[in-house]
Amino acid sequence: MATEPLEKARREFLAALAEAGSDPARVEAVRVRFAGRRSGLLRELEDALKTLSKEAKPGYGKALNELKKLVEERLDAAQRAAEAAGARRQAVDVTLPGRRPVTGALHPVTLVRREIEEIFLRMGYSVADGPEVEDDWHNFGALNMPPDHPARDTQDTFFLKDGLLLRTHTSPVQVHAMETMPLPIRLIIPGRVYRRDSDLRHSPMFHQVEGLVVGEGITFGNLKATLEAFVHVLFDPRLAVRFRPSFFPFTEPSAEVDITCVLCLGKGCAMCSGSGWIEILGAGMVDPRVLANCKLDPSRVSGFAFGFGLDRAALLKYRLPDLRLLFSGDERLLRQFEGVAR
Amino acid sequence: MRFSLSWLRDHLEGSASADELAQKLTAAGMNVETREKDGNDEVWDVDVTTNRPDAMNHRGLAREGAAAACGTLKPLAPQVDEGATPVGKVARLTVDDPVGCPRYCARVVRGVKVGPSPAWLVERLERCGVRSINNVVDATNYVLLDVGQPLHAFDLAFLKGQEIRVRRARAGEPITTLDGVERKLTADDLVIADAARAVAVAGVMGAENSEIGAATKDVLIESAYFDPRSVRLTARRLGLKTEASHRFERGADRAMARTAADVAAELIVRLAGGELAAGVLDSAPELPAPREVTFSLVRLSAFTGCEIPRELALKVLSALELAPCAYDDEVTCTVPPHRVDLELAEDLYEEVIRHFGYDNVPSALPEESVKPGARLGTWPLTERGRDALAAVGAAEAFTYSFVSEEVEAATSGSPLADRGAAVALDNPLSARMAVMRRSLLAGLAEAAGANLRRGAERVLLGEVGRAFFERGGKVAEEERLALAVAGKVGPWDALRPADFLDLKGVVEAVLAELGVSGATWRHASPAVLTAGECAEIVHGGRVIGVAGRLADGPAAVFDLPADVWVAELDLDAADAAARVPEFEPLPRFPAVTADLTVRHKLALPYERLVAAIEAAAPGWLEGVAPVVRYRGEGVAQDEVKTTVRLTYRHGERSLTQDEVNEAQFALMDRLGRELGVSFS
Repeated sequence: MATEPLEKARREFLAALAEAGSDPARVEAVRVRFAGRRSGLLRELEDALKTLSKEAKPGYGKALNELKKLVEERLDAAQRAAEAAGARRQAVDVTLPGRRPVTGALHPVTLVRREIEEIFLRMGYSVADGPEVEDDWHNFGALNMPPDHPARDTQDTFFLKDGLLLRTHTSPVQVHAMETMPLPIRLIIPGRVYRRDSDLRHSPMFHQVEGLVVGEGITFGNLKATLEAFVHVLFDPRLAVRFRPSFFPFTEPSAEVDITCVLCLGKGCAMCSGSGWIEILGAGMVDPRVLANCKLDPSRVSGFAFGFGLDRAALLKYRLPDLRLLFSGDERLLRQFEGVAR
Repeated sequence: MRFSLSWLRDHLEGSASADELAQKLTAAGMNVETREKDGNDEVWDVDVTTNRPDAMNHRGLAREGAAAACGTLKPLAPQVDEGATPVGKVARLTVDDPVGCPRYCARVVRGVKVGPSPAWLVERLERCGVRSINNVVDATNYVLLDVGQPLHAFDLAFLKGQEIRVRRARAGEPITTLDGVERKLTADDLVIADAARAVAVAGVMGAENSEIGAATKDVLIESAYFDPRSVRLTARRLGLKTEASHRFERGADRAMARTAADVAAELIVRLAGGELAAGVLDSAPELPAPREVTFSLVRLSAFTGCEIPRELALKVLSALELAPCAYDDEVTCTVPPHRVDLELAEDLYEEVIRHFGYDNVPSALPEESVKPGARLGTWPLTERGRDALAAVGAAEAFTYSFVSEEVEAATSGSPLADRGAAVALDNPLSARMAVMRRSLLAGLAEAAGANLRRGAERVLLGEVGRAFFERGGKVAEEERLALAVAGKVGPWDALRPADFLDLKGVVEAVLAELGVSGATWRHASPAVLTAGECAEIVHGGRVIGVAGRLADGPAAVFDLPADVWVAELDLDAADAAARVPEFEPLPRFPAVTADLTVRHKLALPYERLVAAIEAAAPGWLEGVAPVVRYRGEGVAQDEVKTTVRLTYRHGERSLTQDEVNEAQFALMDRLGRELGVSFS
């Protein structure tokens, strides 16, 4: 039949229009393709009329007119629909801020504490706590700092009445743990501590975390590996860890632990005073006198302990400038920690 | 402590390079913190730990250098040239208190010429931070820095009776120390006295009355060993920290007391001339038997976690003058008197391991079997509290545990803070940090105020921490959670001032997060909150919290620029265990809802209205929820219109609208009669 191309064009037009939907640009593209004045398909079909036989012309012409009418009507409708949809689309300004529920923020010290706890929980440590008000024995005596010991000078103490005091470190919890818990012990002990000291780098109240492992055959090499693993997870696996001999009354041998400066990665900067290293931890093997004070037998068991400032870890981790900012309750600071993984 | 490199080298034969010495000392625990060039010398600042008084002098640090394979320690052999007069002819010594003063040595140089010190001596002292005074005094200071023995030089002419008597002070005995301060002593203080009066506070500082001056001719050199505890107590009581007391209280060297007297005498004669009297006044020439410590090399390696070579261990211990004596696996060391820190096998392990090198010990995680860890004690509770704060949108704050008395008093008027007396600090740092908090509101209200003053539009702060109470002579610590709401609430296009229900909503959400259900709120008037705008929260018959607007009193103390809504909860009342939901079968039949507007007196609490509805409605009433509260035009001053939505649902069948209407009319009828409310 001569009208077959017209039928084909009709099907193609309807399909193309359906696909264009209410997108004005695509509707316009359909118009150009079918009804374009110069090169539209309808124009070609009209030109084809001249080549037909006399008998075929009237039928073809009629069908062509019907097709033209359909195309015109449908294009008009589609264009109107596209315009309406465009207006609807702009009814909502999607760039306005949403009505957002308030989101909370954990304190940076809580965040860094949890991160540290998670690392140790994965290594089979439990998280312990203890009183902030202590007696002399647990804070000093049992830790090999008898009365009048010079090491007490470095831990300026707040005293309460009746010989009680505010703990100057989390180490008394070590003593409670060794006094009461079965071996082997693997503990991480975060908590609030107090020292009578206040300046740019010291707050009279701050936070420490203490680690304690006691059991049979615990070695100095175990201590090194544990702290290396910890530092690499908390900060950066590229950091070097350096152990320097030092002195704490409750460990023997004792070490101070330095890591490559987290800011300059060892190149030297203001934070590490140009040395490329920052001191972050004190550690050592539990002193046999401490084990004995806790009714453990130093000839049978050994252990290691380590401790460091949580606030300082938070300062390093989040590059905060001032310790005292942490205790200001300033929401401009605290809200910076919204959305940090809990 | 400051050291001179050239001085260190004086004690070392075949000394290593400066870089190597600094590096090896640091690795062995004598941390060389800074190095500065000074002429052709270097000044080192070395951090010597408090347990090592023996290394707080050049010879002691050089000994560490020798142990670190940086040379050999030269022998110390002072050559004294004594005159004919025996010292006993020119001075007498009596030690009344051999416990406080186990050894006292004295030498006498007669006919000195006090004057300035030579340049080399002035320079060395200055490099170590000591000011030159005169040749005799400088000599004593030099010996202190050289071999660690604190000395004192007396002008013998001022010692009445030419006598030295070491005794306890008389109560109230006066002494004017060299710093020009007149001090009163107690019977616990040890003094050096002459026949009549105290001439020095033993081991701490000399007195003006026997000071070396330009006119001094005869010098008595004191070189003693004092009991560390006695020196420490006196120095602390007098508030006097000196180079001498610093060393004596950590433990001086009882053998060096004798040797240093010779070193000093030799130096004084060299610098100031004069004749050294023959012999030494020595209260206790016999040294106590040295301590012996034995350890096993096998155990040392096991303790370290790697094989420590036997040769290395013995070499290090020898260089430290510990005279190791090895028999098979056992090594016995004889501890010289200058090593006050070595008592147990582990103390010797440290000596070996630090010279073996901490960095040379291979790292290996512990091999014992690992059990899963858990949060213990109050941690599960407090962590849940913090998560609850974050879940309701609060910013977690940390505030100080100690506050001023005024702030403490202003925030303790609540049933939660009233659980014991406040605990005061004996030695607070300032009046602002004098008392332990009994309420977290102390810090949180202040923080809220500070945020408002900084121009914060909305404040939502929370804290979890401890409150402290004195009860029955003991201090109790209780876990608390507190919240502060201030400024505006709501989305940006519907901001409004926070009010009581905003606070209550936050607290309800926190309680839900904490697993506390069925808490009731009742009117109360704790002093810390504003009467009529606050409540107590009761659970299980106990007050577990308070909430409301901070009262004017505390608001004035904190200088609050606007209303602050606060709440405090007793965390112990929360269930630390996570709530395990129990499955309730889902409803099979649809619900029908019907609103009811009740006009009633303000005095009728919402809770009673709901209770009356629940009592009067059929058993298939599923729930009642508030829709709107209206006061204003058309409602009397003492009345309110409350619209509630009732949800009806039958467990066995679908309800018809007729049934629901009937129930609703019956309900209105009964409420009208029982509560005297109307429905227009």
